[in-house]
Amino acid sequence: MTRIIRYYLRFALATLCILLAQTSMAGTPVIELRIKDHLFFPETLEIPADTKVKLLVINEDPTPEEFESYELNREKVIPGNRKTVIFIGPLPQGEYPFFGEFYPKTAQGKVVVTP
Amino acid sequence: MFLNSVVLILQEILEAALLVSVLMVFSRLDERRPYWLLTALSAGFAGSLLLSLNMANVSEWFDYVGQEVVNASMQYAITLLLALFAFSMSGDRSPGRQRLVTICMVASVAFSLTRESAEVFIYIEGVLSQPSHLQPTLTGAGIGAGIGISVGILLYYSLFWLPRCWITSCCLLLLALIAGNMSSQATLLLTQADWLPPTAILWDSGHWLPENSIPGHLLYALVGYEATPSVLQGVAYAAGIILVALMGWLGSRQRHLKRQPLLADRKED
Repeated sequence: MTRIIRYYLRFALATLCILLAQTSMAGTPVIELRIKDHLFFPETLEIPADTKVKLLVINEDPTPEEFESYELNREKVIPGNRKTVIFIGPLPQGEYPFFGEFYPKTAQGKVVVTP
Repeated sequence: MFLNSVVLILQEILEAALLVSVLMVFSRLDERRPYWLLTALSAGFAGSLLLSLNMANVSEWFDYVGQEVVNASMQYAITLLLALFAFSMSGDRSPGRQRLVTICMVASVAFSLTRESAEVFIYIEGVLSQPSHLQPTLTGAGIGAGIGISVGILLYYSLFWLPRCWITSCCLLLLALIAGNMSSQATLLLTQADWLPPTAILWDSGHWLPENSIPGHLLYALVGYEATPSVLQGVAYAAGIILVALMGWLGSRQRHLKRQPLLADRKED
């Protein structure tokens, strides 16, 4: 019994290592998104299809904001005057709206995935 | 600001309220005094204050993904604590087991509150700098919290309407769903942080039950509904449910071997 458990643990560890090695591969494109006066700049972000992208979000407001998107399945608080990183994709072609959950009336934007 | 604040706070409170209600049902069946809840609420309050005050630094940890890592760790911890709770609750009534039950209840509620209310504190802290928004936001927050807590209380009493033999199984099922939800959400956060690889979408139910509809929000808070979950999330959700069910089964098997009554069903004997 213990041998089987040990075998499975080893297998799980190996799988985890492979997964982690895959994710840390370099070459992820970086795209900048700024928050100023509870607005996103630029409002539309264009990214290539089927590519993982590193979104660098810079909050220039003194107040915190929460980047949220149901379509992208992303949610993250960005404290005032700080920056953060959100990984998105790979995504199929289409439009993916996002908004600032703390100021949803003004903070609206979208990711457009182009072929 | 008012409506936004109601929705935001309600969403955060619902998840924690569900967990507290289910654990309170177990606590009452076990004739446990609800002091554990006070400890859990205070620990959760302190934890969320600490996290929200340090959020700016925390989010810069691990190359700007500290927030995901900290939140995901708490969610995985809740999953494990609930599994351990299911095991010790279904098990024998030794003092050691009893202590384990209390620790699991206190720690899981404290982690849940820390995570949920930290976001509320950050939101309110941001609004404090704009005095004109203060009153509608705080009123909204109060109403949101009120609705969330009422739903929790309603769930608590409706669980007691069930036939007695069903209560424990229903609560265990709800705990398993909460555990699955936590583990799935944590997996999503680690994918967002690029610590886990992105995987294909399992299904897309966005057109007939959008996540940003009222039933969508409610289902998200209750069972972690997502319109487009990833395969890895699905696996994590199933793993959370199976873990709780398995641990509950292991605990009750041990109890049967020792021929001892179930903690929660003791009154029937």
